Amino acid sequence: MPPLLDVRDLEAGYGPISVLHQLSLTVEQGEIVALIGANGAGKTTTLMCLSAVVKARAGRVVFDGRDLVAGRVPAHEVVRLGLAQAPEGRKIFPRLTVLENLQMGAYTRTDHDAVGKDIEKAFGMFPILRDRQHQAGGLLSGGQQQMLAIARALMARPKLLLLDEPSLGLAPQIVVQIFDVIRELNRQGVSVLLVEQNARMALKVAHRGYVLETGRITCTDKADVLLNDPRIRAAYLGE
Amino acid sequence: MTEFCQFVLIGLVTGSLYALIALGYTMVYGIIELINFAHGDLFMLGSFLALQLVITIGVAATPGSAPAPPAPSTGAAVLAIGLMLVAAPVFCAALNAVVDRAVYKPVRAAPKLAAIVSAIGVSFIFMNMGLFWFGPVDLNFPSLVPNTNLLDGTDLRFTYKDLMVVVVTIPAMVLLTFFVRYTTLGKAMRAAAQDPTAARLMGIDVDRVISATFAIGGALAGVASVVYGLYFNTVGYQMGFQNGVYAFTAAVLGGIGNIPGAVLGGIVIGLVRALGSKYAGEEWSEALIFAILIIILLFRPTGILGARTREKV
Repeated sequence: MPPLLDVRDLEAGYGPISVLHQLSLTVEQGEIVALIGANGAGKTTTLMCLSAVVKARAGRVVFDGRDLVAGRVPAHEVVRLGLAQAPEGRKIFPRLTVLENLQMGAYTRTDHDAVGKDIEKAFGMFPILRDRQHQAGGLLSGGQQQMLAIARALMARPKLLLLDEPSLGLAPQIVVQIFDVIRELNRQGVSVLLVEQNARMALKVAHRGYVLETGRITCTDKADVLLNDPRIRAAYLGE
Repeated sequence: MTEFCQFVLIGLVTGSLYALIALGYTMVYGIIELINFAHGDLFMLGSFLALQLVITIGVAATPGSAPAPPAPSTGAAVLAIGLMLVAAPVFCAALNAVVDRAVYKPVRAAPKLAAIVSAIGVSFIFMNMGLFWFGPVDLNFPSLVPNTNLLDGTDLRFTYKDLMVVVVTIPAMVLLTFFVRYTTLGKAMRAAAQDPTAARLMGIDVDRVISATFAIGGALAGVASVVYGLYFNTVGYQMGFQNGVYAFTAAVLGGIGNIPGAVLGGIVIGLVRALGSKYAGEEWSEALIFAILIIILLFRPTGILGARTREKV
């Protein structure tokens, strides 16, 4: 079976600056893949490129059998194909209510009854969102916003969920809660590409990992192998 | 006291007209932070189209021709008003959306100044189209709504014309509020205004949403243009500039990008104009408007409703 996401030799950047160099990675159906790396390595650019918000300059992004780069699929069509993202910084719509934020996550869907059920499901997963559903998204705490960002991305019923730094700036117990949710989602069949600076947490939850350094993949292996690799431990796990 | 009430009434009626135009400025600003200087001139073209329509169907005379046609029957007048209220908004909506696609979209990624200068250019183009269409003189717009006082027996005057303004503008604003608050496209507009990148990640075609915003703002200008013609019975190619400035001021006064703010700003401008011309003299009313604008912006740079309920779009 071909991988759900197959990225080959991806090049991307901003203006005169090249950020990604011949980046290749895959995500298999049902997998959690972690992409770890330091600040400025190009992790967010990679995800934005997969969501077609940043234009790829070369290479292929084959998702579910379709080449997004060659097909010049615009950002707003990518979601429809089953690729959703909870972006860095959460990007909650600050003056839409929690409920409206979730509804925007389902913007591409036309099965309104099922959307209602999925909103209920999201509230089941994150009960705090139910209590706050009529509050403006901008009034939520950081952890609640992260929950909303994930729930919002899930409203598109994605096959692949891109998560950009879900642990950033959150209290440790909230981080644990978020990662439990990621594991649970994966059990329900959602494949996940997880970008993290918190490499330990990411590799603990992931099946496989990639290490990104200044726009290049320098290392890839099973997550537990990476966790025990002395170089990775020294560079990313603070040992 | 009666006089005061009378001028308040006039202020409310004209103010709701300004509000309708101001909404077009504020919605476009809310979503792409562009002051659409051509909006007033779009309003002018709307009234020209409406005038052209009533001339074509024989309800109004061709400008310059001697005999005015006989006053139309009530039925013909209602029909003409209905036609204008459909044609002008559709025309203005389409024109505004086309201009967005052809002029503003190509410079979207460029610095903001590029779009603003383009908007000034479009404003001149529109004004010259108007000049070419009906020439430089002010034109009579047919008086299809009777001027009979509805408050007979009191000292106040509130005519069918005043009623028409209220009956058209208030539902238009209520409809807009409902649309922006509850429909999917309305929510997408607010989402795109608040965070365009996140909106794209949700699958929202932001360019389409921007076009829709221009179309809706244009439609409101089209409605306002017909009501304006029927109310003041004079239109001309320069009306876009003057009313555009008032409406733009109203939008800034209320807090640009804020929909209730634009309505409030419009009403305030209408009241200041009416009361100013009564108590300070007609020649002072414009100075008064801008003096109030400056004073409010000194103390509340974001406008009256700007900071508190900042609802862009």
